[in-house]
Parts: sequence; structure tokens; C-alpha cells
Amino acid sequence: MSTDFNIISEIHNNTLVMRTEGYINNVAGEKISEEFTKNFVSGINKVVMDLGKSKVVNSIGISYLIDIIEKLNEHNSKLIFTNLDPTIEKTFNIMGIFQFAQKADSVEAALK
Amino acid sequence: MEQNLLVEKLSLQAESFQEGFETLIKCSSLDEIIKNFWHLLRGNFIVTNIHILHKLSFGAEWKFVTSKTVDENFDQSLLLDHQEQLSVKYLTSENYNSVVVLPLSDSSYLGIMIGKKLDGSDLTDFDKITLQILLQVFSSAYDSFLNQKKEKQLIFELNEKILQLNNLIDADIELSRYDKVNVLFDLAIERVVSLTNASSALIKIANLEDESVEKQITFPNKLDPEIVIKSPHKIEFTFDFNNKQYLFVLSEKETRKGVTSFSDLDKLLLQAISRQVQASIENEFLLGQSLEKERIEKELNLAADIQQRIIPKELPKIDGYEVAGINIPSKEVGGDYYDCIDLGDGKYALVIADVAGKGISAALLVNTLNASLYSYLEFNLPLTDLADKLNKLIFNSSPSDKYITFFIAVLNSKTGDLDIVNAGHNPIFLVRNNGDLEEIEAGGIGLGMLDFGIPYDGKKLTIEIGEKLFLYTDGIPEAMNINEEEFSDERMIQFLKNNSNKSPKDFISTIVDDVKKHVGAAQQSDDITSLFIKRIK
Repeated sequence: MSTDFNIISEIHNNTLVMRTEGYINNVAGEKISEEFTKNFVSGINKVVMDLGKSKVVNSIGISYLIDIIEKLNEHNSKLIFTNLDPTIEKTFNIMGIFQFAQKADSVEAALK
Repeated sequence: MEQNLLVEKLSLQAESFQEGFETLIKCSSLDEIIKNFWHLLRGNFIVTNIHILHKLSFGAEWKFVTSKTVDENFDQSLLLDHQEQLSVKYLTSENYNSVVVLPLSDSSYLGIMIGKKLDGSDLTDFDKITLQILLQVFSSAYDSFLNQKKEKQLIFELNEKILQLNNLIDADIELSRYDKVNVLFDLAIERVVSLTNASSALIKIANLEDESVEKQITFPNKLDPEIVIKSPHKIEFTFDFNNKQYLFVLSEKETRKGVTSFSDLDKLLLQAISRQVQASIENEFLLGQSLEKERIEKELNLAADIQQRIIPKELPKIDGYEVAGINIPSKEVGGDYYDCIDLGDGKYALVIADVAGKGISAALLVNTLNASLYSYLEFNLPLTDLADKLNKLIFNSSPSDKYITFFIAVLNSKTGDLDIVNAGHNPIFLVRNNGDLEEIEAGGIGLGMLDFGIPYDGKKLTIEIGEKLFLYTDGIPEAMNINEEEFSDERMIQFLKNNSNKSPKDFISTIVDDVKKHVGAAQQSDDITSLFIKRIK
């Protein structure tokens, strides 16, 4: 099933910033995982994930995000979610994601 | 002795075995466990090389874990011939001291090939026991890893269920909010896709009569609806309301391993969201109806207000005459009107009119008639000309389906002369002293009906002392009871004959009572209006 999901990455100093657009489902989760693996190079100690253009996420998508969080924890790196839709923020709260990751209002705030 | 030495040596190793186990159980993946185990083996056996492989099942292919490159001495055939249980072979080959195949609790297998000792010797009994213990350590650590993984999975699934319940409650609350009506379908489709892990969804709204499609909303946006409809893996829910069919379709339920079937729970979730959408649509419809009803009631109240303003509160006292009039509006405001206008010099215009139709438009038209009548009467025009002018005015200012039946009689109170025009109204009765009823028929069409320039016919009569003029609208003869029987012209005429000797006030009161008695419990369908004048001197 094709989707209109997009992801863009950029590196600011020691931070990897990933911006998503579209439904975060199985296919999108795989793309996020690939993009993360490709860009998580040595020296990166923080990952900021901007979900401002993603309004819907399902539990499969969440499982991919949890995998990334676990990998980051192994490297003592942290993940910060930004621009979360209120529904997605609530979802992450229930799934316990903020026990292992953080949130910020914006990418700029997360980069500080 | 040798055995004691062995035990002593193993006791010294116990702490390192324990440390090794603790290192392995902290690992978060099979690869990490194996790599750490390789280090453990390396620390216990001073050998040329150690290769560790893994396969997912008995019949699967072995895959290297500890190195990507194969040395020239590697011989995979040593791993091929094994049973399903633990196999430890101590070899006399040139390159390897032992080959181990360790079955794991998830039906996968670990293959270990331990090279020759650097000093060229064979593995000692101590080495063999150490190897057995280390295999046990690995097995236990891996079991622990699998249990942790299962536990995480269970927690994830539990949280997922809580999330589904929470999202369902939130979705129900959001979908029921009136300010979300414009985005109702977008909201519903996003929620149900998220709840069920569907890849895509469709809401289709079609007309029940001709099956034409009114609207289609897909998720993701811009997806071809046919893709969803033709999917072999889908669930649907449908409801009908207000001559439309609403179809909800979810397709391609996802897992990380691919597409799977929707569960009974998914069907329930789809049904729940769809039902909430249905409730929201019904509520919006009922609210609309309620607002429309409120609007109509306001309009009717306004129309009634307009009408009551132009109905005279008190009729002028005409010297030598008794006059009485009444207007009882129906529940749905009609367009009846009556008046007795003092024209000066002992002349009075007796007017009765009835607008075709009801509601505010009828009330406004009567208002127009009243205002223009008062204006034209000032010019002292012949009544036929007056009627002609009123006709043009009403024709040009009203919709094509609106017209007014109109009767006017200008009474010269001194002489009793009546100058009359009946524009399409019911025949008016002049009750003569000998008891005869003289009908004053229409002398032209109703005002506003047509404007072909057809002149109105006037009539001149004289009301003598003791005679009466009875003006009425069709609300009296056409008043219906619950059996849909009219009061009737005949009954009205008979009543007139029997009661015309009453005073105008009593006559009006009595005829109204008689009409109400006939109507009984049925609702009054039209205005009841009447004007009764009696010459007494």
C-alpha cells in the first residue's frame, strides 16, 4: 500500500534532526528506521524528531519509534519529539514513550 | 586427586561464570549476547579462532554472527550433521578442537566452532566442563533475554489496548461536538485508522434512490477509492439516514510482518466510530429541524403581530348604525383583514379582504393592501378605479401565487347608499327587511391575480333602516371539524336568516360560537373574520 509519507534529515552540530510528514504506519516506520540508521553516525548524541506534519500514528509506527529509542539508550543518546499533535502526544503518554524520550514545543527549543 | 583439583579449579571459576552471566543478561539483542559470549569463550580458551553461527530453525541456513569473513580453514560441513538436541563433538581435525550445536528455547540453534589450542594440545577435561558450563550460561542468559522480550511485548500490547480504549472514548467525545461537524468525516477516518492499524480507509456517501455518489473521503488523502473498495483484506460498516447510505471501509491491517486479517475487535471499533458518526449526523439534522421550527415560529409570531396591528381595535361609531367585527387568527397566521374607515362627511368604507396563502408573506401583503387603501381613499376615486389601482399594485408587488380577495362598500350613512366593488371575494349578503338575502357577487377577479386591464364592475345598493350587511371571509363557511366536514355556505346562510335580528355584537358572538361548536376538537385551519353592520335609523 503506497503512502504519501516523507522524511527529511539534517545534522546540526551533534544533533540529528528528522522531520516527518504523513501517516506513521508500518511503511513509514520502516522509512524512519532506515533514515535513522543511515544518519546516526558517530558523534551524534541527540536526535530530534519533528512530527509536526504527522497527525496520525498507529501502533506499528510506534513500535519502530520505540526501537529507535532503545538503540539510542544503548548509546546514551536521547530522543526529543517536537511539534506533537495533541492526540499523538496523548498516545505517546499512554504508551509510556516519555519515560525514555523527551518532548519539546519546537525544534529550536529541542536544539538548545 | 585429579577430580579434587578439577573441582577446586571450577570453584575458582564460579565467580567469573557468574560475572559472565550477568554481562550476557544485560544485552539487548541476540547479536550482542553472542558477541559477548564470544569474548567469554575467548577469555576461557586460548585457541586459534572461535566462530559462532546462528540459524533460526533446524532446517534453516547457518549465518555467521561473530565475523563477516570466513577464514580459509572454515568447514561448514562440520555443522551440518546434527540432531535437534545439544551436540558437542570433540574433534581430532587439524583446525578445530570442538564443534557445538546448541538448541535454544525459541527453536533456533547456536553453532560454535572452537579452533585448536595455541599449544596444539587437545581440550582438557577442565576445558570440556568449562565449555559445558558456559553453554549453560549462554542458554540461561538467552532464556532471560527472551522472557524480557516477551514481557516488553506484553506491556506493549496492554498499553495498546489501553490506548485503543482511550482513543475510542476521545473519538466519541470529539465526534459528538457540534463544532466538529465540518470535519466529522476526516476526524472519524483518522481515528478509526489509528485504532485498527489499517493502512487505508474510505467513507462513501451515496444517494439511496439513484446510487449516485455524493462524497468520498479517503485516508490517506488523494488515495483512489477503488483501491480500498477492491482490497481483498477489508472490513465494512454501513448505515442509512435521510435517504443516503454511509459506507465505511477499512483495508490492509498492518503488522510489522505484513498484512493480516482484521480482528473481531477491529470490527467492533469500526462499528463504534461509525455509530458515533451516525449519531452526530442525526443530531445535526434534528438541530436543523429544531432551528427551522424555531425560525418558522418566530416568523409566524411576527406575521401575527403585523396582522394584529392593522386589524382595528375599535370600530368607529356610525350615527344611525350598529357595527361589530371580529378577527380570530388561525394557529398558522392567515391574511384576513377587515376595517371600517371614516372617510369624513358621513361616509365610511367597509372593507373585508383575504390573502391567498399564510405566513409572513401573506401578512406583509395585507399590510401593503391596508397602507395603499388608506392612501387611495384620500383621493376619493371611484371604487372601480380604486380596485383597478389596487390590483396593479398588488400584482406588481407580490409573488405570482399570491392574490387578495377584496370587498369594499362605501356607505353614505345619511342616505344608506352603498357603493360596492367585490374583487373576487365571497358573495356578501344584504339582509332585507322582508327576510330576503341579496347576494352581492364578485364584480372582478381578486387583486393581484392578473393585470390584463379588465375593468371591475361596481354596484350600487341602498341599505334601508332595519337592514343588515354581513361581510365574512371563507374561514366561516369552510371551517372544518375532525371528520373534515365544512360548516358550509348553507349552514351559514341559514344561521344568518335565523339570527340577523340580533345586534351586530351578539350576531358576531353567536356565529363564532356556532362555528367553534362545529369545529370541535379540530384545529382552526383559517382566520375567522366578519363585519356586521345594521342600520337602525
